[in-house]
Amino acid sequence: MIKLENVNKTFGDHPALADINTEFKEHQTTVIVGPSGSGKSTLLRSLNLLEHPESGQYHFDDETIDFSKPITSKTVLELRRKTGMVFQDYNLFPHLTVVKNVMEGPIQVLKQSSADAKKTALDLLDKVGLADKAESFPSQLSGGQQQRVAIARSLAMNPEYILLDEPTSALDPELEAGVLRVLLELAQEKDSMIIVTHNLEFARAVADKILFVENGKILFDGTPAEFFKQPTQRIADFLAAMTFTTISDKAES
Amino acid sequence: MNSIWHIIVTSTPQIVAAGLKYTIPIAIISFILGLIFAILTALIKLSPRHGWFSILKAIAYFYVWLFRSTPLLVQLFIVYFGLPYLKISGIFPNGIQLDPWTAGIATFSLNTGAYCAETIRASILSIPQGQWEAAYSIGMTKTQVLRRIILPQAARVSLPPLSNSFISLVKDTSLAASITIIEMFEVSQQIAAQNYQPLVMYALVAALYAVLCSILSWLQGYLEKRTSRYIKPIN
Repeated sequence: MIKLENVNKTFGDHPALADINTEFKEHQTTVIVGPSGSGKSTLLRSLNLLEHPESGQYHFDDETIDFSKPITSKTVLELRRKTGMVFQDYNLFPHLTVVKNVMEGPIQVLKQSSADAKKTALDLLDKVGLADKAESFPSQLSGGQQQRVAIARSLAMNPEYILLDEPTSALDPELEAGVLRVLLELAQEKDSMIIVTHNLEFARAVADKILFVENGKILFDGTPAEFFKQPTQRIADFLAAMTFTTISDKAES
Repeated sequence: MNSIWHIIVTSTPQIVAAGLKYTIPIAIISFILGLIFAILTALIKLSPRHGWFSILKAIAYFYVWLFRSTPLLVQLFIVYFGLPYLKISGIFPNGIQLDPWTAGIATFSLNTGAYCAETIRASILSIPQGQWEAAYSIGMTKTQVLRRIILPQAARVSLPPLSNSFISLVKDTSLAASITIIEMFEVSQQIAAQNYQPLVMYALVAALYAVLCSILSWLQGYLEKRTSRYIKPIN
């Protein structure tokens, strides 16, 4: 289980994370929502130490990291081994074929044999529906396909948690659906996932728990049912602003 | 006309022989050493400023500044004619005496390394931050990220400007004539001194440099094509 206690981070004089306290349970999907610039991505990126908060405690299973102290590179590497990351703009390695993108971590980091890594990689590519693209280069794939490869790449490391930072924000709706189907499947297999997204439909369908973040603070931490059925005024405004009906209502009045 | 043709036919083999014996080996060895200096310098200049790294960084900045701010010919003279007078009792009581070959390669490699360091530094910086983050997120160490992800992509970016530096270096080896190396230009000077045909001889050696550099340009095109296979073609 992942647990954060009193985590703070500032960029200049802008508080990106303000006294964050929450838990991410295993085999659950947590969805983080909130307006742009609210600190959602910073929160997610702190979990694999791409960001380094200034203070607070980070518990990962039995391990505890104190953000106010220097973190050894050994701790950083161990933690990153246990978390996979999927980025908004995929960040596939353009000079490697699709299958080699997926094999890179297992071979270089887990020291698997090339044959083992390839077998796992092909299985994972099959799972995300891209077995036939194994020998293509990323530039030959659509955005949605690239993102599914990125998911396969993070799964290849067999992480305890998969962190996804707006995985479908750069995609048009049709390609987005293909990626969301893969994520839904992972959620149903009870993988532990933490997803930052703007897609509330998807959040409703997949989340075991929702975090609503604004100005670096967690304003809501609970189930999707509560979030959508009994929202606070701020969340109700946020939900209304995210749907088209209110815009067309205003246009008519 | 016949006599000019005769000069060309008899001189070309001598100049080409000097090219094979001196110009090309000096250029290749200097460039390989220069690339090693360049990669090290670029990595040091890009490294965070802390502890003993600040000293290395200062040295790297000084090195690049020194070799880019002074003429190559002057550098050659200092290393070959000047260093023998650098007498430090206990360490170099008789000064630093380098044979022409060593002095030439040392100067050419340090000089080209200073220029290539900037090329390589810029190429590394041109690789998007997301590549570092993606590689870190699958648990790679900084060394692994550099070796497996960043440098291979940076190599493609740096190929055209590095080819520029190499082609420049090939022509700059003609300066080695001034430190008694009998490379292509020196041979043509010696022949011109005998047959009193400086125009023919210098035009001939210029043409031979041009042939050599044209081969290198073609090689650059070939390498660019090979290393860009993963890039979507721009039409």
